[in-house]
This record gives sequence, C-alpha cells and structure tokens, in this order.
Amino acid sequence: MTEKIVSLAELARSIPDGASIGFGGSFLHRGPFALVRELVRRGARDLEVIKASPGYDIDLLARAHAVSRAKTGIVAIEGGFGLAPAYRRAIEDGELKLEEHSCMTIAAGLRAAAAGVPFAPVAGVFGSDLLELNQWKTVADPYGSGKETVVVPAIAPDVAVIHANEVDARGNARVYGSPHWDHPLTRAAKRVLVTAERLVSSEHLAQQPELTLVPGFMVEAVAIVSRGAWPGSLHPDYEVDYQAVAAYLEPGEEALARHLAAAPEAQAFVRA
Amino acid sequence: MPEWRGAEYVVVNLARAIQPNEVVFSGVNSVLPMAACILAKRAYDFPFTYLSVAGGVDVVPERLPRSSTDPALLAGSAAIFSNEDFYDLATRGKLDLIYLGAAQIDAFGRTNVSAIGEWAHPKVRLPGGGGAAVMMPTAPRVALWRTEHSPRTLVETLEFVTAAGNTVVLVTPYAVFERDPAKNERLHLATHRPDVTPAEIAARTGFAFDAARAVPTPTMSKHERAALDAIDAFDLLDNEMPKNQTLRGA
Repeated sequence: MTEKIVSLAELARSIPDGASIGFGGSFLHRGPFALVRELVRRGARDLEVIKASPGYDIDLLARAHAVSRAKTGIVAIEGGFGLAPAYRRAIEDGELKLEEHSCMTIAAGLRAAAAGVPFAPVAGVFGSDLLELNQWKTVADPYGSGKETVVVPAIAPDVAVIHANEVDARGNARVYGSPHWDHPLTRAAKRVLVTAERLVSSEHLAQQPELTLVPGFMVEAVAIVSRGAWPGSLHPDYEVDYQAVAAYLEPGEEALARHLAAAPEAQAFVRA
Repeated sequence: MPEWRGAEYVVVNLARAIQPNEVVFSGVNSVLPMAACILAKRAYDFPFTYLSVAGGVDVVPERLPRSSTDPALLAGSAAIFSNEDFYDLATRGKLDLIYLGAAQIDAFGRTNVSAIGEWAHPKVRLPGGGGAAVMMPTAPRVALWRTEHSPRTLVETLEFVTAAGNTVVLVTPYAVFERDPAKNERLHLATHRPDVTPAEIAARTGFAFDAARAVPTPTMSKHERAALDAIDAFDLLDNEMPKNQTLRGA
C-alpha cells in the first residue's frame, strides 16, 4: 500500500484548526460526512466552511462549535426537515460569521482560483442586496459592448474534502452520478483530501478514465470509509437514512453523542 | 370537500406555468416544483425538457423522493447536466423557466431568503437564496411559490433583497399572481381559488395589487387529477405546507 491511504482519524488530524474547508456534495447527498464527524471527534475549532449548499455538515460543525466562518449559498437540512437549526443559532448568536453567496458566485470564485486569476465574472446579481453587502465590484466590458459585469474574488480553500465511490491506492477518485461542485472545488483548493467508499485497482479505473473526477496526482491523502456519506445518500450505493437524520435533529448533547456513536465509522471501530 | 386539498393548488398551478417546448429547471429545497414538473410530464401532452438539480434530464421517477436533490432524479437519465451546465444555460438566457422559493416576496416579485431583522444581526437567519441572485435576472421566466399567504410573507417592503429579476408568476395556496417583467410592473391577481374572494386575498396580502382581471382558477383537469393520484405523495407534499393555515379566522 502506498502512503496515500491513511486512517479517517489521520485525515481529520491533517486539517488544522482555523483552516478553510470546501466540502463536496450537496445537501444530504455525497457529502464527506464521516470526515466531518471525525473533525468533531477531534475537537476541531475555528474552521471556515465553503460550500454552495451545505446542510448536515455545517449544522453538525456549528452544533460542536467547530466553525466560525462560512461562505454559503443556501443552507438547510432538506428532505422535509427545513432549516439547519444549529447553523441558524450560531449565526443569530454571532458565533458564526457568514459571507452570503449565490451558489454560482462561490463557483465563480473557485473557478478563478482554479484558473490562477484573481477574480472571475459572474452573470446576474444586479438588483440583489448581496452586491453591496459583499462589496462585489463591477467591470465594464473592456472590448466595448457596453455591458457591465459583476466580478467576484478568487476563492482558494485551504483544503477540499470530497467523498468518492471508488479510489485506487494512488488517489484516483471515481464518482458516479452528479459531480455537484466537486470539479471546480478540487481544482481551486490548496490541498485535496478524499474519503472513498471502496478501494479498487488502478486497472479498474483505467477502463473508464472519464469517470475519474480527481486524478491521483492532485490528491494528498485518502481514507477508505464504508458508508462515509451516511446519513446522506451515495448514488448508486445507498439512499438517505431519514430516520438517522431525524435522530440527529433531536436536541441536546446526549442526542449528538448517540448520533456520533451510531455512525458507521464508529460502529466499525467497535467491531474491530 | 373543497376542490383543492393541501398542496394540490400550489403544485398544479406551478405545473401550469410550463409552456410547450420550454427548458424548465427545478432546484434544491424545492419539493413542490419538483412535483409540478413530474405532474406536467404525466398530465400534459406537449413536450418540454425537465432539468433537475440532481443532474437528471427528463427523469420521471416512479416514487417522489423526499429531497429535490435526490439521485432518484438522476437514475435512468441518459445524460448528467451538471451544476455548471445549468447555471451557464440560465445565464446565457436559454433556461426558459426556473422555480424559486422565498420567505418574503414583494409586489415586483423580488425575494428575501436571507434574514428577518437586520442582516448582520438577524432575528431569524433564513436559508439563503441559492442561485436566485444569479438566475432570477438572467433566466427569461421565473415562477415563485410561497406556501404561507400572509401579510408577513407577501410584503410591500422586503427587509433584504436576496434576488430580483424576471418573475412572471407567483403561486400561493389561494392565488396565482402574474406580471410582465419587461414592463417592470407589479404583480396582479390573475386567478384565485373559486372558494376565496379577491377581497379575502387582499386582506391576506401585504402589498397592493390590481384584481380587475382576476378570474376563478380553472378546475383541475382529469389529466392533472390522474397525474397527482399517480404521484401519490400527498403526505410528502402536504408536509411542505404551513400547519393550521386557514383563510378565514386564524
């Protein structure tokens, strides 16, 4: 085995307090949720979350007082559960400082960082109070169309963490289904970490290289975590565990402890 | 028994916003528009393209998922139309109709999905507008929905403008409002539930509107009824509606 395969705990320890982290997936779907829980278990503090549509992940970090800053576009538990309660409380209490985006403005910032330019244009935004709130600038078309375009600054997360279906020992990561925003995210971040459902051979990935979302040379480390997107879904392997989401949303420290103990990676540890 | 039960009025009237041959998009946190697109696929005989935020193209699942981002809206799709693809499609003006939700909506179809109270020190932090600020001014037609029809949700002045742009229709549990964005005009009452009067709707609405052209909403067609029954997700849809909302009293 090469040095890229590490334990989930080692992966979480490699993310220092104060880091800005871009999480893959969207809402309850294909998020690197085992890693998020492991950050809570290691007592992470002062993190920044960068994600267009977080939910369970940012709510869990807010509940554990691990997150102090965020760039988000829309935040909810979704799946009929409504708003993310701990995230909401953290903002209303002033514990979490939000930079409110419009999803595509985060993607544009990531694209800028990925392309190595200091800012990127994004359509629309005019008429929204987000323009003044974020002090985003506009530029006149230097080629003379007369059109004014909003530009947003580059966003380069310290770390990107995505959950993949399959990974080989060299870190090549295959994803089935929607890439969500994981493509620009993994190109923009300074470091890329992967959790993956299964370890597979490089020959297997080479049969359909177009399914590899991140090539191994860009990936620093990988942890193999079965059911790593729980309680969310991983297409096509498993669906959302709505009972577990409901149990997570029960208030109180005990409910949180029960949720963390019920997670697949904690169960695997107990069995080992 | 009333003609329209629970979420039915909202779902069917959101479906009716779709025009033949349009490319239509339903996003995250949007169970009712997701149901509307699937209803339209089953009930209407004209073609249109249904893009879901899950990445699927024209996927009509057997069972409605609880999340409008669910991979069930991708399963069986012959293509994956990714986030970047549908944002670019919207911003170059080729995404004909999009659905957007909001906490507060004003007479010009602008939305607040950000905060109640001062943005920096909110009384209530709302979810945020998703891609609304980018899509609303660029997609040609925007359909809004709001499941609570009250003076605190349909307001004259928004506490924060999350997004503004090409709103053409607003559907609530009682009424369908319309406007022409090219004229930058206010929403007017287009149709209303037959058992609710325009005066009752005005009493429940925080912005003034013209009701001169208002007519009762057309009865549900047998194709729409059959499609709703086939979707068979009444608990899921009604869960999106506010509890104990009554027009009279409350």
